[in-house]
Amino acid sequence: MFLPKMKKFGCGCALAGVLVAMPAVARAQWKAKDTEWASYAADLAGTRYRPLEQINAANFNELEVAWRIKTDNFGNRPEYKLEGTPLMVHGVLYATAGSRRAAIALDAVTGELLWIHGEHEGARGGAAPRQLSGRGLAYWSDGKEERILYVTPGYQLICLDAKTGMREPGFGIKGAIDLKQDDDQEILPDLTTGEIGIQSAPVVAKNTVIIGAAFREGMTPKSMRNNKGYVRGFDVRSGKRLWIFHTIPKRGEFGSDTWLSGSAEYTGNTGVWTQITVDEELGLVYLPVESPTNDFYGGHRPGNNLFGETLVCVDLKTGERKWHYQLVHHPLWDMDISSAPILADITVDGKPVKAVAQPSKQGFLYVLDRLTGAPVWPIEEKKVEVGTVPGEWYSPTQPIPLKPPAYSRNGVFESDLIDFTPELRERGKAIASRYKLGPVYTPPSESQLDGTLGTLTVGTASGGTNWPGGSYDPETHMVYVFACNACAEPIGLVRAPKEVSDMNYIAGTAGEEVKILRGPGENAGADSPMPPKKRVGSGYVALNVDGLPLLKPPYGTISAINLDKGVIAWQIAHGETPDVVRNHAALKGMNIPRTGQETYNIGTLVTKSLVIAGDGQITTTSDHPRGAMLRAYDKKTGKEVGAVYMPAPQSGSPMTYMANGKQYIVVAVSGGAYSGEYIAFSLPAAE
Amino acid sequence: MIGIAVLGLLSIGTEMRAWGRVRRAQEGSTSRSVWDGVYTEEQAKRGEEAYRKECASCHGDTLVGGGGAAPLTGGTFLSNWNGLTVGDLFDRIRKTMPQGAVGKLTKQQDADVLAYLLSFNKFPTGKVELQKQVEFLKDIRFEATKPNTK
Repeated sequence: MFLPKMKKFGCGCALAGVLVAMPAVARAQWKAKDTEWASYAADLAGTRYRPLEQINAANFNELEVAWRIKTDNFGNRPEYKLEGTPLMVHGVLYATAGSRRAAIALDAVTGELLWIHGEHEGARGGAAPRQLSGRGLAYWSDGKEERILYVTPGYQLICLDAKTGMREPGFGIKGAIDLKQDDDQEILPDLTTGEIGIQSAPVVAKNTVIIGAAFREGMTPKSMRNNKGYVRGFDVRSGKRLWIFHTIPKRGEFGSDTWLSGSAEYTGNTGVWTQITVDEELGLVYLPVESPTNDFYGGHRPGNNLFGETLVCVDLKTGERKWHYQLVHHPLWDMDISSAPILADITVDGKPVKAVAQPSKQGFLYVLDRLTGAPVWPIEEKKVEVGTVPGEWYSPTQPIPLKPPAYSRNGVFESDLIDFTPELRERGKAIASRYKLGPVYTPPSESQLDGTLGTLTVGTASGGTNWPGGSYDPETHMVYVFACNACAEPIGLVRAPKEVSDMNYIAGTAGEEVKILRGPGENAGADSPMPPKKRVGSGYVALNVDGLPLLKPPYGTISAINLDKGVIAWQIAHGETPDVVRNHAALKGMNIPRTGQETYNIGTLVTKSLVIAGDGQITTTSDHPRGAMLRAYDKKTGKEVGAVYMPAPQSGSPMTYMANGKQYIVVAVSGGAYSGEYIAFSLPAAE
Repeated sequence: MIGIAVLGLLSIGTEMRAWGRVRRAQEGSTSRSVWDGVYTEEQAKRGEEAYRKECASCHGDTLVGGGGAAPLTGGTFLSNWNGLTVGDLFDRIRKTMPQGAVGKLTKQQDADVLAYLLSFNKFPTGKVELQKQVEFLKDIRFEATKPNTK
C-alpha cells in the first residue's frame, strides 16, 4: 500500500503554488486538438507529428526567439542535460525542468512562469538512479478537471492540479504515490536507497496512468540480483493500482521457462524506461522493454529471457499480455528497446494494416501488425556467431527484418573505418586491429592485453536510435528517424573480482582497474568510491584518429522510411560537419560533404511539410557563430530548406503548437558550458 | 546573440534573429591556447590520481562517459568546449563537480584534474603548471585543432 511516511523524504507540498489566473475552460468531452501537443510524443501513437504549416520552407529562416527560459534555478544547481519535451494544452505549456525535476507551467505565448512545483526528496532523491529533469510529464482532462502527472527522481508519481500546480489531494496519498511500494516485489535494500526510478514521461490513456521503471547503467552491475522493472497502470483519479505487468515472469507465468536455472528469481532490471505507446481505440498498450541485469554478460541468466528486449502488447484495462515479439534473444548488446513504438495505419500490397513500427539502436525498424504481433514483412531467424566467453549462454539465432533495410550501421568491418586518406585509413586499421570486428550480433568478447580488447560494435549501447525515437506522418505513411551511424562501442568483458561484483564478468578493458560505473550523483558525499588500485598497464585505445572519428561518415543520419513499401525513401547526413573534421590539417583542401554528427540523442519533429531537428554538437562556421542549428528539411526530399541558430545543441526533442494564431517550435538546448534552456521560436509579427 | 545565456535568470522575450545572416563571431582575444603547453606532466599525473578517485566512477577510466555523465574525450567533448576557454571548463568543474559533492575538491585539485583531461586528449605538456585562478585560465583558449594547421 501507499507509504505512510511520505514526509520522511518529501516536503509534501508545492515549492510554490502561486497561480496566475488562467482562463476558465468549458469542455464536455475533452480531446486534444491537433494544434496542441498533449503528450510527450504529441499523441499516444508516438508520432511527434502536428499538421501545422504556418512555419514552412519559405519562412523557416525568419524564425526568431519568442521567449526562452533557463532552468538553472529549478533546483539547487544548474543542469547541463535538459532532455524534456514540453506539452501544450489550452494555451499553457507544461514541462519538467532543472536539477530538482520541477514541474512548471508557462504561458505558451509569452513564456511567463505561471506555477512551479518541486519535491524535496532528501536522501531518496540523492540515491536515485535517474536524476535531473527527466523527459517530461503527462496531461489528463475529463473536460472539467485538468491534471498533470510526473515521476520524481525518487520514484514518486505526483498528481497536480494543472491550473494551480498544487497536489491533487484525492490522488494516492495527498497527491502522491510511492512507486517503490505495491510493486509485487520488495525494493531492496530499502525504500530510500533501493535502486529503481524513471526519467521518461508518464503516459495517460483514457483514465489509466502507465509507469515503467529504470535503473543504473547496466554494464557493470555489482550483482546478478537486482530489483525488477515491472510496469503498472494506475487510476488517474484515485491513484489506485489497476494492474501490473511482470516484465520478468513470475514462476508459472508465461515466459518463465525462458529463464533457466531459476534465473528469473534473482535477475532484475528489464524495465520500460522509455516512452510507452497506446492505441486507445483498440485498448492496447505497447511496452518497449530493456535488457535484463548485465547489459553485456548473460551467463547468470541462461535462456532467451522474456521479456528482455521485447515489444510487449498488453491490454489497457487489465495489463494482460496480448502478444509479444522479442527483438533480441538472450540480450548481450545493450539493445534496450529505447524509444516509443510508433503506431501507423498503413497500406501494404493494397491491404490496410494497423501496424506498430519500432525504431532501434541496431538500426532495424521492426514493423509488426499491432493487433497480432505478426511481422508485416518477413523477419527471419538467422544464425549468428556463438561466442566463447566462459559461462555465457548464447542464442544461436537472432531475428533479422528483411524489410525495411537497416537504416543505420549496425556492425563494424574494415570497410567501415575512416578512409579520408590512405594514412588515416592505416591508422584506423591499426586501432581496429585491437578489437574483434563483425556484423550485427557479433558477440561480446573477453578483453585481453595479449589478444583483442573486446568486440568493436556500433548500433549497441548508444548507436542507432536512442530515447528520442522517430516521428511518423500519418498522411504519407513515412517514418522519419535520426540515427547515430558512427557511435562505436567497444564491448570487452573482464572477470569481476568478488569484492567488486558477484558476477563472473562485467564490462571493462584489460589492464584497467575493474570497477563499477555509476550514474551521476551516485558517488556523492559519504558514499565515497573505493581507493584506486594500481593498474597493470592500460590496454585502452582511443577510438579516434587525431580526434577524427574511427568510423567513416555519415556520422549521423535522418532517414525517411516508407511504411507502405518498406523502403528507405531518402537518407541525409544530419548535423554540421564537426569543427575537428572541417579544420583538420590532414583534410585541408579536401571537399568533404556534410558528415553529420556522432551524437545519439536527436529527436525529430514532423509538420505538414517539414522535418525539423537540431544539431547535437557545437560548431563554428563562416555562416554562424559558435552554436548549433535547428534545421528544417523538406519532408518529401530531405533537402534542407532552412536553419535557425541555437546557442547550444539540441538536447531534448522539439515540439510545436499554435497559440493566438501563431505557430511555435519549442526545443530544449544544453551541453558543455551551456546550462539547460527551453527556447521558443516563432515568426516575426507581420510588418 | 552569442553569450546570451543569463545564468540563473529567467530570460523572457529576448529576440534573436536567425543566424544565417550573422557574421562569424570573433572568438576569444586571448593569447594562449591549449596547444601552447599550458600544464606539466607532473600536474597531469596528480590530476589522474584525483580523477580516478573522484570522477572515474561516472565518467569512466577512459573518459568516455556514459548514461548521464558527459564524455570528457572525443568529438562531443571537443565540440562542447572548442572556442571557449580553459577557464570556462574549470568553472564548470568548480560549480557542478563532483556531482552531489560540489566543492569536495580544492581549486588546486580541480586544476590538476583539468591538466589530466588535457593530457588525455593529447594536448601538449609544457613547463608551467595550469594555475588555479579562473581569471588566468580564461586567458587560455580551448581549441580542438591546432590553430596554425587550419
